[in-house]
Amino acid sequence: MSLQDCAIVGYAETKIVEKSTRDIWELGGEVLGSLIRGTGIEKGEIDGLILSSSMTGAGNVFWSQAVADQLALEVNFCQTVDIGGCSPLGAVARAAMAIDSGMCRNVLCLFADTQATEDNRPRKPLRQEWTSAIGYLGPPTAFGFITNRYEHQYGLDYAALGKLAVAQRNHAILNDLAVEKLRKPITVDDYLNSRMIAEPIRLLDCVMVCDGASGVLVTSRKNAEVKGWTKAAVPLGYGERTVFRAAQSVLDITETGHLVAGQMAFQQAGTQLSEVGSFHPYDDFIIAILLQLEMLGFCKRGQGCSYIRETDFSHAGDLPLNTGGGQISAGQAGLAGGGTNLVEAVRQLFGEGGARQVANRKVAVVTGIGGIPYARNFATSAVMVLTSNA
Amino acid sequence: MTKLNDTRGVERTPPAPLNHTRPFWEATRDKRLLLQYDPRSGKYQFFPRPVSIYDGKGDLEWREASGEGVIFSYTIQVRARPPFQGHEPFALGIITLKENVNLMANLVNCEREDLRIGLPVRLCWLPLPDGAHLPAFEPAR
Repeated sequence: MSLQDCAIVGYAETKIVEKSTRDIWELGGEVLGSLIRGTGIEKGEIDGLILSSSMTGAGNVFWSQAVADQLALEVNFCQTVDIGGCSPLGAVARAAMAIDSGMCRNVLCLFADTQATEDNRPRKPLRQEWTSAIGYLGPPTAFGFITNRYEHQYGLDYAALGKLAVAQRNHAILNDLAVEKLRKPITVDDYLNSRMIAEPIRLLDCVMVCDGASGVLVTSRKNAEVKGWTKAAVPLGYGERTVFRAAQSVLDITETGHLVAGQMAFQQAGTQLSEVGSFHPYDDFIIAILLQLEMLGFCKRGQGCSYIRETDFSHAGDLPLNTGGGQISAGQAGLAGGGTNLVEAVRQLFGEGGARQVANRKVAVVTGIGGIPYARNFATSAVMVLTSNA
Repeated sequence: MTKLNDTRGVERTPPAPLNHTRPFWEATRDKRLLLQYDPRSGKYQFFPRPVSIYDGKGDLEWREASGEGVIFSYTIQVRARPPFQGHEPFALGIITLKENVNLMANLVNCEREDLRIGLPVRLCWLPLPDGAHLPAFEPAR
């Protein structure tokens, strides 16, 4: 399997900030420099560049080339992955494909966005005709629909959702790179009492759009051995599904593409759920975590709330959850935000979690969510199972 | 009872139709709701697309919908962007039409306490500045 022959041998991350005074190139440069210092790789050895989606880069049809030029990277493989919040995981999978095909050896996967400062998204006809016209606010509206539908089908304990918010917030407090505004403790009552945005979606259900960058260096395991990179996170399995149930006009919006992406990833990995040492689900809204717990099979459909009540999600608990705070409590670096979940998983596998290090650093699972199509659930869903060489 | 805004006072930008969505918007001038129909599968689809979502082929028909449906899900918008800002709170629904398609629309002529999933609703229309109309739904009383 080509995927398993590759490894993430380095990671880097900038501080997440509410509004960056540095532009996107500078943030990308910080990640590159940090990776070079951390791994000892020469810049000239990096011969592949894969970028995540970026709201700042959205207006630029030459985005990956422009970044390569700014960072003076001479590469044999250059592309942007444009599957929204799934882009960072998608970038790692595509890096493995490019390395396996022989196109390149060392790939920088760079996830940078300054959406809060510079959002260059064009207006889309789809948005104007079918969503802007009715006052659709975007993701909060979509998750409002999903939440009410979930409650109708299964019942919903909002205090259980609040428990997830609190667990992630406690992790952000231990994360120096999390956005400062959110590094304050919250209680379940704070969650329940936070103001409504798109009922039943509350403020503390939502991510805060921020600016930031992260990245990983992917190479072949063989090359890692030659180079003496002993710390490695190996992608054991990956699943990706775009427009789940595309050929249905009415579909259950509490069911997501993670159902199939998870099966693909775990089957390829040959890993059991009971082996998972930390879970890093893409978290744009709190209820997305509950849905993914169910889709991946940590609990049965509709049983998410009782599972949450029974589980300790702290870094020292049963299922350590987004141990850096996730995007909801560390801040969402725009469309590069999925890099926050991925990099934290790699950090844990490397055993570099510091005060928030998990005990079981053998297996980590990371997911992605990319976009929400009209009256559906998630444009792309992705799941990656990673293992350390520990 | 909590009054919800019916959003009639919102100054909406008229839609800029594409070739394959124009028949939909043209029909709204006569307050008719058209859906794309795939004669091969015998199924409807919404929103309008260049191809059938069932078999990928073109050759879709336009058929008039009954305008009857039920609430599949809903959310109350407490925060909004212009031009909806200042018109909150208002309700949005996903409506499952009798023709078995899900359509997102404003829910009007109702109060918060009326709203529930499964509530029968019927089509009504919100005027747009260019003579077209936007489909909306109200409780079928």
